Amino acid sequence: MIEVSNLTKDYGTVVAVRELSFSVEKGEIVGFLGPNGAGKSTTLRVLSGFLGATSGRVRIAGHDIAEAPRAARRALGYMPESAPLYPELRVFEYLQFRARLKEVRRDKQRAAIAHAMERAGVAHMASTVIGHLSKGYRQRVALADALVADPPLLILDEPTAGLDPNQIREVRSLIKDLAGERTILLSTHILSEVEATCERAIVIDRGQLVAEGRIEELRGRQKARRLCVRVRDPNGGAEAAISAISGLRLSSFSSEPGAPERRTLHVSLHEELAAEAVIESLVRAFTEAGIGIHALIPEQASLEQVFSALTAHEKAHTGKSEPGSTP
Amino acid sequence: MNGFLAIYRRELLSLWVTPLAWVLLTVFLLLQGAIFYSIVSHFASMPDVSVDTGPLQAYFGQESIFLLMTLLLVCPALSMRVFAEERRSGTIEALLTTPVTPGSVVLGKYAALLTTYALIWAPTLLYVVILRKTGVVDWGVVGSSYLGLLGIGAAYLSLGTLMSAMTKSQLVALLLTIFLEFGLFILGVGEYIFDPGVFRDLCAHVSMMGQMEDFSKGILDLRRVVFDGTVSSLGLFVTTRVVDSWRWG
Repeated sequence: MIEVSNLTKDYGTVVAVRELSFSVEKGEIVGFLGPNGAGKSTTLRVLSGFLGATSGRVRIAGHDIAEAPRAARRALGYMPESAPLYPELRVFEYLQFRARLKEVRRDKQRAAIAHAMERAGVAHMASTVIGHLSKGYRQRVALADALVADPPLLILDEPTAGLDPNQIREVRSLIKDLAGERTILLSTHILSEVEATCERAIVIDRGQLVAEGRIEELRGRQKARRLCVRVRDPNGGAEAAISAISGLRLSSFSSEPGAPERRTLHVSLHEELAAEAVIESLVRAFTEAGIGIHALIPEQASLEQVFSALTAHEKAHTGKSEPGSTP
Repeated sequence: MNGFLAIYRRELLSLWVTPLAWVLLTVFLLLQGAIFYSIVSHFASMPDVSVDTGPLQAYFGQESIFLLMTLLLVCPALSMRVFAEERRSGTIEALLTTPVTPGSVVLGKYAALLTTYALIWAPTLLYVVILRKTGVVDWGVVGSSYLGLLGIGAAYLSLGTLMSAMTKSQLVALLLTIFLEFGLFILGVGEYIFDPGVFRDLCAHVSMMGQMEDFSKGILDLRRVVFDGTVSSLGLFVTTRVVDSWRWG
């Protein structure tokens, strides 16, 4: 549905996106992740046809955006960052204007607008002036606009930015509802958003691709797996027992106030060691040292940790690349 | 073509549901009313009037400097927001990611401005109706006078559209347009300043006052029409290129 190869976009001296390649298949919901200023919006603006690429090729639904821009734009519903709208128009008037622009057939316009308003939850606001709407409703009107021509591909730039937690939940469930036949690419810098809605993520930093894959794969990338152990340790021998096992490292520990023998230990399992074997030897060592194990909780790396590890790693290696920017 | 009509309708709607068009209409009509009233009372106090001059000829022709001064305010104010506002608020991004061509965006917006300009002039037809009660009105002259005004409006609004596309600030667009159009107007005044020669001919040729003097006598000078058309098309062409260039910003 989207094929990007070697996309580069510079603003004069500043390179916002550098040699970026990725693809999105039909029916996928893909999260486009990156810290602020990573080049997310720039990339999406190029995909939407608003900005021209400096070099590289982009194909939307099989149409090259440089050679067949109108055909490519016909296939996509794009929601720009911060959902710009005309404040003086009514919701219905705005969507009617958008439907006409997007060449929705005249006899189908009414139904298409009604359907889009229904999907986005703004049907009861049809005759409200957009300037009087709250931020959350404006965001939904912009979403209704993206949906009005019933495009096979949706590109949403930060669809939940500036919303309150309830509205975020609603928008997310709406995006999930839209999935299926439709392909969705959404950008965000909030990781929980990707975990909640997407199947796959593309992570960029400073205009370059740093990781790509299914959410589970990305989580698995975190090499150091962690373990939380709650113990009764009357003799204080836990540290010694852990350091005796190779591949284990005690990252932090705490005691319960008033009961110093009850301790919570956070242990990281290192590198490519088989977790099962390490856990077995840990339990054996603890039992031999007279330490009572109350709980043993494997901690899965959150995407948050993966993300900061990936982007921090990247910064260390590309010290001389210019920072990406969004205009 | 779909895009053109959609943009034309949206632009007209936006112009007339916001105060701008109404404010301009009110100010314009107050000024025109004052000008017309003083011209008519001047003629009413004259015992004898020759065939060639009358209140209408004076209003559209010899005294057209007043009328053009109001246009120098109204036209830039009408066109200042047309692109600047969309770029400031970001709606231009939503607009240009639909399957429309830059040409239909520019033409749709411009056509809406020109329509609004014509609508602002429309109430002045009442002046003609009023004059008709006391004398004979030459409808051919009325028609050519309005055609002259339309030509001037077309040129001014085209330049204003271009200036609005050059900046994100409506105020800067307004000032640039006033500067440009006032310059064009002053160039026309050169006809009365310079000695006979090429430069004076040039000034006479681009003179808005000269144009109105001709058209108010019923002289449809094709060169004037060509000049207005050239300025308008050039402005719109460059605007289209400017809109196109935003992709590479």
